[in-house]
Amino acid sequence: MYDTPYPVRPDLKEKHAAAWRMIASPGPYFTAAERVQIVEEARAALSCDLCRRRRDALSPNAVTGTHDAASDLPPVLVDAIHRIRTDPARLTKSVFEGVVASGITAEQYIEAVSVVCTSVIVDTFHNALGLPVPQTPDPEPGPATGPEAARVVDAGAWVPLTDVEVEDGIFGLPQQPNIARAMGLVPSAVALFFLAFRAHYALRDVPLSISQAQAEFIASRVSAINECFY
Amino acid sequence: MLLRASGERDEQTYDLSAVTDGHGDSGVPHSDTIRALTEAAVANRWDELATARDAASAVMGEQAMVDVLTVAAGFNGITRVADATGIPLDDRAQAATEEMRAVVGIDRFDYAEKSARYDAVGASAS
Repeated sequence: MYDTPYPVRPDLKEKHAAAWRMIASPGPYFTAAERVQIVEEARAALSCDLCRRRRDALSPNAVTGTHDAASDLPPVLVDAIHRIRTDPARLTKSVFEGVVASGITAEQYIEAVSVVCTSVIVDTFHNALGLPVPQTPDPEPGPATGPEAARVVDAGAWVPLTDVEVEDGIFGLPQQPNIARAMGLVPSAVALFFLAFRAHYALRDVPLSISQAQAEFIASRVSAINECFY
Repeated sequence: MLLRASGERDEQTYDLSAVTDGHGDSGVPHSDTIRALTEAAVANRWDELATARDAASAVMGEQAMVDVLTVAAGFNGITRVADATGIPLDDRAQAATEEMRAVVGIDRFDYAEKSARYDAVGASAS
């Protein structure tokens, strides 16, 4: 990863490589091969004709069709992956409810969200530097590792959130913000995503050569583009 | 949305509407350059990226240019986590951003409101 003359921070390279290896390991609900397929599906979404037509429509739900899938993952999961990758601003609760109603569990959905969003970070950074995206890793053999213990509560999100009121280790705040609790139903999903993300931003102790205000301007602009309410 | 707190800390006034409307002078140093680079990276405008990288490197330095892309890539991922889980604002974020949300109109991004808006049109496709 990151064969480039640009000054990419060594810590970021290490974290991305570690996240890539973690994707290629079995997760609690998906095999390693399925997790790699989730990355391939997220990439395929960028050239998917249905996704393109949906983006051009007033509402994505007004456009029906079949995705240009790159895997044999269940169609409803493929749909969710493509929406997360190409049209996150217009994800709705009914999309999530449709996934669960089809038999995909909330835990599986969360694991997929983590893998997709981790790959978005890695791929966005490669593309932004003018680099080809890294090859998907060779998946490790073996079955999914099985359910993980999670302490969660209903806090008004589509999914249960981590039930903690302690100092968090992600943003350095006295209480965990909801974004750090969002994938708490699957602790290893939290670990994977923030393994990659922590190299990109924190409220303190991230060695950036831009000011905090500039970093927050970037964060705010991306939030606006993706219509992120949080 | 953290920019208001940063302005208070720096004793600066930033134009928050420049964040959501995509143009205008925010008051943040090099914000036009940063905006162009960020938008090209996040909106997959590959053909604009090389020019945007060169422009940012020229005015901010190469490391700063890479750091702009570092933050942009990270938030391109984490905003999707929020969008895919429909998380509500926690009390801290609500208190810190109440005025700013009114200024920039971000409340229209509320997940319940967006669900009602988009789910009302058409049936869900497979």
